[in-house]
Amino acid sequence: MSPLKQVFLIAQRDFLQRIRSRVFLISMLIIVGVVVVAGPLLAAQSAVQKPYKIGVTGTVPDNFQQAVDASAQAFDRTVTVTSYASTAEGEAALEKGDANVLLVDGNQLVWNEDPSYQLSAIVTSAVQSLERSKNIATLGLGEQEAAQLLSPEPLASRSLTAPDPSQAPKQVASYVGSILLYISILMFGQFVMLGVMEEKQSRVVEVVLSRTRPRWLLAGKVLGIGLLGVIQLVVIGGAALFTLSRANVVNVDLAGIGARVALTVLIWYLLGYALFAVLYAALGATISRQEDAQGVAFIPILAIVPGFFLSIYALEEPNAVLPHLGSIIPPFSPFVMPTRMTVTNVPTWEVALSVVLILLATYWVLRLGARIYQGSILRIGAKVKLRDALRAGSEQ
Amino acid sequence: MLELSNLQKRYGNVVALDGVTFEVRPGRVVGFLGPNGAGKTTAMRCVFGLVRPDAGEVRWNGSPVGPQDHLRFGYMPEERGLYPKMKIREQLVYFGRLSGMDPSAASSAADRWLSRLGLSDRALSKLEDLSHGNQQRVQLAVSLVHGPELAVLDEPFAGLDPIGVEDMAATLRELADTGAGIVFSSHQLDLVQDVCQDVVIIDHGRVVLAGPLAELRDRSDYRHLEITVDGEPWTPDLPGVETIGDSGQRYLIRTGVDAEAVLHRAKQDGAVTSFSFEPPNLSDLFRQAVKR
Repeated sequence: MSPLKQVFLIAQRDFLQRIRSRVFLISMLIIVGVVVVAGPLLAAQSAVQKPYKIGVTGTVPDNFQQAVDASAQAFDRTVTVTSYASTAEGEAALEKGDANVLLVDGNQLVWNEDPSYQLSAIVTSAVQSLERSKNIATLGLGEQEAAQLLSPEPLASRSLTAPDPSQAPKQVASYVGSILLYISILMFGQFVMLGVMEEKQSRVVEVVLSRTRPRWLLAGKVLGIGLLGVIQLVVIGGAALFTLSRANVVNVDLAGIGARVALTVLIWYLLGYALFAVLYAALGATISRQEDAQGVAFIPILAIVPGFFLSIYALEEPNAVLPHLGSIIPPFSPFVMPTRMTVTNVPTWEVALSVVLILLATYWVLRLGARIYQGSILRIGAKVKLRDALRAGSEQ
Repeated sequence: MLELSNLQKRYGNVVALDGVTFEVRPGRVVGFLGPNGAGKTTAMRCVFGLVRPDAGEVRWNGSPVGPQDHLRFGYMPEERGLYPKMKIREQLVYFGRLSGMDPSAASSAADRWLSRLGLSDRALSKLEDLSHGNQQRVQLAVSLVHGPELAVLDEPFAGLDPIGVEDMAATLRELADTGAGIVFSSHQLDLVQDVCQDVVIIDHGRVVLAGPLAELRDRSDYRHLEITVDGEPWTPDLPGVETIGDSGQRYLIRTGVDAEAVLHRAKQDGAVTSFSFEPPNLSDLFRQAVKR
């Protein structure tokens, strides 16, 4: 019986026992459901902006509707105009939210609370352009002269870098990816920790270790539960891609971005999970009781949470010093690098350095973690001190 | 054959094993006895590499025991435990396979054990849904599912009811009949005397008595004496006769003392209604060996 076969059997058992559990299946179905439903809702919300509701009362400038439509168009917005019999009625509509602004006698804007600068600009420019037209007509200018006066040549404009219409969707996708990574590493890392602890708690570990070595049990467990994480990511990623492929946003290849983010998240999940799962396993081996689990679970969180926050920071400022360093240095890199890779162009050498560093860190944690694991896995009862576990582990 | 040779293990200032040496021959059942804390569990763990001795060696058929040998052994630890939420048939198959059986052999061995334990109808039950006694039987089945050549069982009879004890004893005898060596620890000395051919008694990490039980009993310097006169226990007030325990009814007598003379003396006090004079039982040997 080769150790590899034993590792495979152990991984298979952990994987099957968990994937069959109702709690796991239901929680995954809920997440998939949320992703599939929330996608189109969010897309619908952001794609269609509601029209501004303008109330008018008293004297209304002639052709106000056309003028305000035209000026709203300049802001990429639409408007509706409703007439009210009196100022009081108009103000009541403002309070009820039936109108966003009330134009009184064509010369006064009334707001319910804070003015909207965009809406104010739309209405003001509409009223002023009508005023100008009236004045031009009074001056007796011809139609062409009037048009020249009212619509001068617009200023030419150019950008040094072409704006990327996909930047916003990239940020959103990357944000979702960060959260997924954070949840996955935390969730499956803790699965490993609790799995190790439960084997000690139920005392089955002595039966298992009479047939295999601690390091193979550790490897099998980390692999089996890690695979479970991969399956969950693939299912959720698939649901997200399905949602994105049905959303319709002009000029942006949402499905393409989604696929890239999903792939990046998957790769960095594997790198990050390997590092943290071994740490969690080692910590799980030092405890035999649920009450002690909280006490040790915070240790990896000390590294995971800053990584997650750095990744959020990196969404807006991917090249600021902290996200830049965080994307290269473990244990933050599995969270920060995928974000940077999505929202900006990271030089290949930085990615390579980051991967090498996290692999080195994983190797180091694996050696140390395996020692702690071996040194404490058979010591049932009170929590094993890390120093004692290390000493005992080195004797194994 | 399993040989433990001069095993030493120390935990800080506590000496757990102090030169433990004994062997388990094929087809023999060895009772491994000793007071609590004598080092029995530590010695058993050494066989599986669960504890690494500071010195000494565990050998199987003449070579140091390695991971591949462990797969030919069966182990039932003192602290019982399997996967509580796993179905019992799955557990048997899993542990069979972990010991190197192929899937079909592991499946049929699992079914055989389930039917033997009368648990075939519970094959799909989770372990935690079984009674304590049945969990213990599954635990034994897990340690023997792969047909081991050596079984190391730490207190296998603890917590069993009389029927469970009989079943367990029968199982161990059958396994020994197949040629497997068996070593088990127990505090139930009568039981050990019934089941074992060999005994090893350990105290403070040292083997204080070891060998075939019948030989040890014969070789003893003492004989076990019990006399009733007129239906009442009779106290032999003679040199060389020691009282066992506080009961005042059983005595140990040095082999040099003349049993005839004792009987003669008893007859002077009345009619001897019973007279038993035989080699010491295991309890007597144990007490002598550990001087308690």
